[in-house]
This record gives sequence, C-alpha cells and structure tokens, in this order.
Amino acid sequence: MLTIDCPNCGAPVTFRSAGLPDRVCDHCRSMLVRSDAGVAIVGVQAALPFDVSPLQIGTRGRFDGKPFEIVGRVRWSWTDGSWNEWLCLFGDSGFGWLGEAMGQFMMTFERPMPRVQSPVLMAIQRGADAPIGDRIKLDDDMLTVADAREVECIAAEGELPFTAPPGWRIYSVDFRTTSGRVANMQRDGDEAHFYDGRYVTLAELQPAGLRAIDGWAIPANG
Amino acid sequence: MADAAPPAPAAKALSCPSCGGTLAVRAAGYTVTIACQYCSSILDVSQPDVKLVTQYHEAAARLEIPLGTRGTLRGVEWEAIGYLARSERGQYGWEEYLLFNPYHGYRWLIANRGGWSFGELLTVVPGHDGGITLDGKRYKPFFADGTAQVDYVVGEFYWRVKRGETVRTDDWVRPGFMLSREADDREVSWSLSELLDPKEMKAFGVTANPKPSPPLPHQPSPHVGWLKQGLVVALLAIAVLLGVAIFSGGGGTVFTGTAPIAADGSEQEATLGPFTLARARQGVKIETRVPALSNGWVDINYALVSRADQKAYTASKAAEAYSGRDTDGSWSEGSRSTGASFAAVPAGTYDLIVSYRGNVWVDPTAPLNGGSNPGDFFGGGGAAAPQPAAPDWRRDGGEPPQLQIEVRTTRFQGGVLVLALFLIAIPLLIGLIRHAAFESTRTGESDFAPVLSDEED
Repeated sequence: MLTIDCPNCGAPVTFRSAGLPDRVCDHCRSMLVRSDAGVAIVGVQAALPFDVSPLQIGTRGRFDGKPFEIVGRVRWSWTDGSWNEWLCLFGDSGFGWLGEAMGQFMMTFERPMPRVQSPVLMAIQRGADAPIGDRIKLDDDMLTVADAREVECIAAEGELPFTAPPGWRIYSVDFRTTSGRVANMQRDGDEAHFYDGRYVTLAELQPAGLRAIDGWAIPANG
Repeated sequence: MADAAPPAPAAKALSCPSCGGTLAVRAAGYTVTIACQYCSSILDVSQPDVKLVTQYHEAAARLEIPLGTRGTLRGVEWEAIGYLARSERGQYGWEEYLLFNPYHGYRWLIANRGGWSFGELLTVVPGHDGGITLDGKRYKPFFADGTAQVDYVVGEFYWRVKRGETVRTDDWVRPGFMLSREADDREVSWSLSELLDPKEMKAFGVTANPKPSPPLPHQPSPHVGWLKQGLVVALLAIAVLLGVAIFSGGGGTVFTGTAPIAADGSEQEATLGPFTLARARQGVKIETRVPALSNGWVDINYALVSRADQKAYTASKAAEAYSGRDTDGSWSEGSRSTGASFAAVPAGTYDLIVSYRGNVWVDPTAPLNGGSNPGDFFGGGGAAAPQPAAPDWRRDGGEPPQLQIEVRTTRFQGGVLVLALFLIAIPLLIGLIRHAAFESTRTGESDFAPVLSDEED
C-alpha cells in the first residue's frame, strides 16, 4: 500500500498492490503509473459516461468463497454498444475481471496464453480474424467463438494492471460454452491475453456496498 | 463509504433528433437503441452523440403496459422500458416488453392471445439428451424453423433493433415453460419463459386472459392439477380400502363343525357354535363341504343368529355333484362344496343354525312302493328275491355322510372393492378424456403435432 499526493493536483492517491501499477486520480483524472523511479503522469483519462451499473469502486463480494473488492474499471465500446470490466482485487492480491454487459455478469481470470494453445487460437494470435462458430478445446470444455470485434477503451477509473488510455483499440474475441463457462482473448498488436471464467449472478457474489440508484431498492444481500 | 454517496440518478434525459421530444434513458450504459415514444423514430444512443437511424412520423402505439410502468414479479421490481410487436412473417402476432432493474438486469414479458409469460435470457445452452434438456428437465419440440420479425418497436433496447429484422426461431415446451432459440447470422441465444398466473399480471395493471384460445404452447392442461390431486386422493382411497381389506381383514376361521346327514332324506337341523365375531363389522363366509356327495344334492339353509338380539342373517344354498360315463367318456358337474357369504356382520356371539336335507334317491329300477317288481309281470310269482338296495351316497360312499362346516371371517368383499375402485376411477377417466382434448388443441399449432388421419379412407 502506497499513498502519495497526486503529482498533478495534490489529492491523495493510493496504490494498493504492486500488481496494479496504474492509477487514475479520482480528483483530476490524471493517469498515473508507479515504478521504481516514482509515480509519473502518462496522460489524462476521459470522463466515464453516465450509466446505471449497480457496481462501483469499493463494492465488495465473494467469488467461490474468496472475498474481493472492486478497485478499478475499464469501459469498452464497440460499434453496437459498450460495457464495463470491473477489476476485482482478491485478498491474495490476485485479481479478476467482472464483466458487465447486457445486464449479465461474468467473472474471468487471466491465464497464460501458452497453456491454451490451439491452431485457432494461434492463428488469431498471429493476427487472423476469429472464425465465428469455430470450436476450440480448452481443458475438457469445447469453446465456441461467439463474437470477435475491434473494441475501444472509452474511459477508466481507479487502479489497474495496465494503462487504459481512451481511444485504445484492441481485438477482442468472446468464447462461450454450453455450461456457462466463458473465455475472452484480447489481441493488442503482437501481444495476446487470455481470460477464462464463467457467468455469475450478482446475488451469488453476495455483494456489499452496491451503488445506490435513485428509486430502486438495493437487494437485501447488497 | 459507498453508502455515504448520494444515490445515482436512475435515468438520463435526451432529445429526439427527429421530433425534439424529451426521452428518458432508463438503462443508461446498456441501452443502444431507442425508438421514440412520440414519433416512433429509431435512434442510436450507443455513442455520446445521438444519431437518427430511421425517421418515422407516427404517433406511438398505445401500449397495454405504458413504458415506465413498474411492477413486482416474483419479489423483484421491474420497469417496462421497451416494447416489440413481433410476428411469424406477419402472422400470429405477439408482443414483448423488455423489463429492467439495474440490480437484476433484463427480463421479458411476452403476451400471446392474452396469456403472459416471464422470460429470461439463458447463460447456458440446453443439452441434448435424446431431446432438449435444461436443468434436468426435458422439453418437447413445438415449433421449428420459424422466422420471427419485428413489426413495431418503441422504447429502449440493449441491441440494435429495427423494424422488419428477422431471426430464426425454434421452440420447445414443457408444461408452464417454453424454451426458445433465436439465431441470426452472428449469434445464437436461448431464453426460457414461464407462463404467469393471470393474477401476477395485476402487478402491471394488466388483466390477463386465463384461458387463451387455442391454448398457448406451454400452457399446462387445466385438468392436470386436479387429475394429479384426484389421483393422489384415489390412490389414498385405494390404499385405505386395501389396508382395511388386508389389515382389518383377519380372514381367520372362527368355527368348524360337522352335522350328520340322515339317510332318509328328512329335513334336519343343527345348531353350531357359538362363536364370536370380534370386529365391529366383518364379512362372514360359511364354507360347507359334503365329501360323501355323489350323484345327489343337499339343500342347506343357513341362519346366522346373534345371541344378543336374535337378529338372523340367512342364506340358502345347495351342494350338488353328479358324474357318470357316456359315449364321450366320463363326466362330472357340480361341486361337493358350497359357500354362503354375509357382508358387514356386526360384532357379537353367534350361533349358526343349519337346516338341511339330502336328496331322496329314486332309483328308476327300484320297485314302486317297495315290493313290486317288474319281474312279476313275467310270471314266476311267489316270493320275490330280495332286491338290491338302490345306490345311495348317504349310505354307500366311502365317507361318512355329513356336512363339514367352516365359518370364516373374510378379508374383504371383492365385489365391493371393485365397485369402489370403479367409482373412484370414473371422474379420473372423465378428466383424462378432457385432458386429452385440451392437449390435442394445444398441440394443434405445433410443427410436431400428431398427423390426423381423418381424411384417409
């Protein structure tokens, strides 16, 4: 845990984990990056457009019994809409992404790319378009390529494992299974990241500190 | 810390670029398309700048559930934010309302012929197990290869919606539930909808039709409920009947005795007993065997007389047995046994009074009035030779001529049991027939309806 004054506006900013070196100042929206050399300003983050997400930074919950707290968010858009990826910091300093789209939620965790090699994945990694409907085997599940598209970062907030500047474009491929397991692959130039997880309901995360929305009752477990 | 923050507003406002009307975005952040409630124009709100996609100048349809209406279903409050009129290529129209709650996401209210269903997008794909299964429940195919188009749209949606767009549809049902698959070139989505009780739709101020006609594909037969209850009641009744029959039946012998049969064919009477019948009511069966009986009969009158009040239960029976030999070989008919049954005899001490009479054997070859002998006509005269006595079972049999009487309490009156089962079954049969008629109407629309062969010769 490191708390400093924002080099831009002087407001206090906290870096909670060495694994999350990127931070958006809550006050002036400066994008800060922490390194051995200190904390540098790398740009200015855009304002998040208004939404009625029930989540917010500070919301806590449990996933498979392990407690987490939401510490950051990236909002992505594509041609037909936009969605949130909430960064969940677990007690063991691991983190997962709680994706929120179309009123549904999915929790995914990054896993090393080499462990999930397949010809389809390798081709996508090398820059090919993902063939929608194609299936790949992951562990014992068959994943179907459900969607593939260019996505663009609209804005971000809080603490993050990478810098997410507005206008940053990556290639994103969604995989679905019949069981509710989901996966996502993100290609950014030569780099690719693979995320594996499943659909969850808000209720099963036993959330606390949900965002209050005018005129709506927060669920009892929230 | 989160609790201290003031609540976020629930909606944001924007102006329709076509008519200038002020629209509320109720699912900000999710909503991609808005169809203006004033002019029906379709707007793209996925980007900060609102774009006009298709301009219409139509007053929006009056909706049964005005958008913005909230109602509580299954313990969660929902707000109607979007409306679609859809059809199977212009026919068989139905309506869908998109419901939203920021903490629970989206649901659907689907109206078809006045019946309403509550639908949810699935995050799992149903399995194939010889049929379609979801959560271990089996669904039967109902519609196949449908094409659902959007005829009219108003309100807000989380995808790009426009009039005339189509998806391919397939539907499966089980009573009360419909599983639907919608596919376009990009995506396949599955949803599950549950038929709502008309009462539940009061939450949205809607008077639902409890009996859509023809029935909805997933409408449970109204007869199944009471048929199941009726079946439970019937099974209980049968169990009770059988239980009474088995456990209170006893079926024990309470008395055995014998009565000699006189050789002269006179009326005789024997009083047997006493014996005690223990249960409040019981069937009593009297079984009489006449082991010596051969080519003859015995008439038997029974009177079961209560010692307490002299009340008598009477019955008349006969045992008769014949046998012989003719050109086809030997034959026999009748039985050396006869039984009498009494239903529901009250408890008490009883005597069994048996009056009986064996047959008088008339030997056609025997002399009439004892003495006359056909031989007399052929001369000879004089003292007739002693005639051999006519064969008589009462005298000649290997067994002593007697009644062997056994009195038993019986388990149950089989006839009564069968009648009871029949009476229990009648309403169930009527229900089954009505259920079959309902199911036939319900599946009439199905692409998998049984083929009727009325027109075949």
